[in-house]
Amino acid sequence: MSGYYTPEEAQDVFLKANEAYAREDYAAAQEGYEKLLSRGHGGPDVLYNLGTTQLAKGDLGRAVLALEQAKKQGGRAPDLEANLAVARARQVDKVVGAAADEEFLPRVTAATDGSLVAWTFLASWVGALLLLLAWRLSRPGRRTAVGLLSAVLLLVALPSGVLLAAHAYVEQTVHEAVVLAPTLVARELPQPGARSIFEVHAGLKVRLLEETGRFVRIRLPNGLEGWTEREGVSEI
Amino acid sequence: MRRTGSSGRVAVLVGLALLASAPAWAAGLEFYQTVNREEVGSEDTFLLTIVTVDAPPDAKVKPPSSDDFEVLNSSRSSQRSVSWSGGGPANIQDITKYVLVMRANRAGRLTIPPAEMTAGGRTYRTDSVQLSVKTGRMGPPAGQAQGGRQQQRLPDPFANFPSRLPDPFTEESEDEPTIPRGDSDLFLRASLDRDSVVVGEQVTLSLYIYSRVDLNSVDAVTMPKLEGFWTEEVESPTQLSGEQKVVDGVPYRAYLLRRRAIFPVKAGTLSISPAEADITTGFLFAGHRVHRVSNGLKVKVAPLPPGAPPGMSNANVGSWRLSMDVSQTQVELGQPVTVKVILEGVGNVKNVTPPKLTGPSALKIYDPTTSDKVSPQRNRVQGRRVVEYLVMPQRTGTFTLPALEFPFFDVRKGGYEVARTDPVTLTVEQGAGGPTPTPTSPTHVADAANEQKNVLTTGGLRPVRYQARFVAPAEAPWKRGFFVPVAMAPLGLLFGVALFGGLRGRLATRTQGDQGKQQAKAARKRLAEAEKLQAGGDVGAFYGEVEKALHGFLGARLGGPVSGLTREVIAERMTAASVAPERRAQVLYVLEACDFGRYGGGGDAAARQKVMDAAAAAMEGWA
Repeated sequence: MSGYYTPEEAQDVFLKANEAYAREDYAAAQEGYEKLLSRGHGGPDVLYNLGTTQLAKGDLGRAVLALEQAKKQGGRAPDLEANLAVARARQVDKVVGAAADEEFLPRVTAATDGSLVAWTFLASWVGALLLLLAWRLSRPGRRTAVGLLSAVLLLVALPSGVLLAAHAYVEQTVHEAVVLAPTLVARELPQPGARSIFEVHAGLKVRLLEETGRFVRIRLPNGLEGWTEREGVSEI
Repeated sequence: MRRTGSSGRVAVLVGLALLASAPAWAAGLEFYQTVNREEVGSEDTFLLTIVTVDAPPDAKVKPPSSDDFEVLNSSRSSQRSVSWSGGGPANIQDITKYVLVMRANRAGRLTIPPAEMTAGGRTYRTDSVQLSVKTGRMGPPAGQAQGGRQQQRLPDPFANFPSRLPDPFTEESEDEPTIPRGDSDLFLRASLDRDSVVVGEQVTLSLYIYSRVDLNSVDAVTMPKLEGFWTEEVESPTQLSGEQKVVDGVPYRAYLLRRRAIFPVKAGTLSISPAEADITTGFLFAGHRVHRVSNGLKVKVAPLPPGAPPGMSNANVGSWRLSMDVSQTQVELGQPVTVKVILEGVGNVKNVTPPKLTGPSALKIYDPTTSDKVSPQRNRVQGRRVVEYLVMPQRTGTFTLPALEFPFFDVRKGGYEVARTDPVTLTVEQGAGGPTPTPTSPTHVADAANEQKNVLTTGGLRPVRYQARFVAPAEAPWKRGFFVPVAMAPLGLLFGVALFGGLRGRLATRTQGDQGKQQAKAARKRLAEAEKLQAGGDVGAFYGEVEKALHGFLGARLGGPVSGLTREVIAERMTAASVAPERRAQVLYVLEACDFGRYGGGGDAAARQKVMDAAAAAMEGWA
């Protein structure tokens, strides 16, 4: 990995930030983790530590944002889920009537690693087709083995291709964000003076639907929608 | 004798005139009046002094009377002076002074009418006195700045020391009361020790009765509405106890009714409404009840200066000290620890909130109890607020109760200060009994279950990760430029191979036709060679050559060699190749003739020509 720091330097910054966290100097710890992220030495571990630090510091919005980013990049992990549960418990908002489950495709993509799916598809797809080619060119005695191997790879390539398409679709169409502002007013129209529909508070996860000017339309898990200021939310 | 003002000089002239017309005992008679100031405010009092010198014993003095002035107080004093001069007889003078405390009822250039003295059937008059009266207060006359107060202070020997600490021996100054018009004998007076403070700083409100009459009781007191203030009782006497006070030269008995510390909770000019009281004067059946209303007050409250620590309450004003008292720092599992957070100092004790005790999850901290001890000193509210926590260790180990901080605005220093405690380390150990022996009965099991355990619960924040796998921000693989081309490349390759195969097939088919034609051409050439042998003597060679030529031709036309095949098989292959029956018959005839010619003697030249023609005919027209 090439970057601003050598791996040793990055590890040193990481350890110093951890030490600052241990002595409850959360500002210094946060600064260390953010330095790593801004210099291209991020990843789910750094994001998790940053989120945990911000949670300890009491910055609920940014804590949830960092933890969700860690989850997006590195998938589920017990410590990550535990701290996200702590963050959710501290949230002011309780979304009533929320759908019991998330939508199918986002749930599927959340449960799978997009990169792994992409590489699996590419490898199996290319391998299957190359073996198919070899089958055609090979002598009748070897054709069975080559054909079987090609079929197996095609069987892997097809579902991984579907999964890859789901990942691409979700990434293109589903934009999730976290409320950072302590209090954010959702309005009926994208205008400062428009009627207020509801208020959300720091740490709530919302979906971004569209954007116009400095307003963005958000949707809550229970389907409640409203226009709010773009600065108050940050995309995961 | 000291006389003041021009009025005095006029009075001397009047006195001299009186002397000229007086009887012998009245030879030294003097009668005049003076004021202690020529310019006063309508709210100020002044002294009118009427002096008689050597007045007859039956002299009666009548003080001046005018609607423009009211007399608040009057007193009379006499003295006799004896003086010797030039060895002559002693000069004896009897001097009587009438001192009137007066106040003008209106502003303007006013005249105090002459005083009158009646003696021996004659009436003597002083001169009138001119006085300039301005609206409001002008304060005491020059040189008598503290003349209205009897409590004159000695000069402070430490006045020049550069200390800003308050002098503990200094009485809080209260403003000079104003004697109300009409109720000058008995009035209610509210006063503040200061009228300009910052939010949260103490102001002391005192309510006094000033009286020149005998009081029987105070039946009801209605304190002012103190909106915008937090109030704390400082003094509330149950019995009337008066002290002598001189107000504008008028002696009063001042009775304290209430004294309260008030702490403004917001900035601005805050008003304090008048207090009211029902007072009974006189004794027994001669007494009567009066209702009095005090003056209203205003307090200018400034906001706290900028630079306050974040989250600091406006009530945190004064001078504070923070401490933490822990009952024990080494404790066995299950034993409670009492932690007292103590905030003490000068300020609004009951409205300050000591910092909340926090600790690790291994220490269960129960809701605290708060107790206050307020002990005002010299009218300043001070004391201590104690917040007592019960801390129950849940696990063994060493735990730290973090340091606490209490930011406040120090009025004396005029800046923000932070009172701090040190962190406290608690060591929690296993109980003295040590490990529990193996239970042998259900009772033992129950006892063991009830013992304090090292409770290891989940909850709280999970720790940070100690190792990191650093990942540079990267695009999703499927969004990278190479992904789609690589995924499509094998498809293209397969298509290309298939296309190539087709082309090659077509190319191969075309070559086979050409081969056939070449073979047919070779066969015809061989037949031409056989024709050369026709006339020769080697008949077998002729027929052999014809047969080879025909076999070559058939091989070219039927797509495979036919040498070695029987005529029946060749006939079948020709049938399969849809060769016309006439041609098939010709071919079979030539083959049969060749066999016969080679092995049967060969026939004559005509027979050879016939075979030659039949072979040429069989080849001819077979594309």
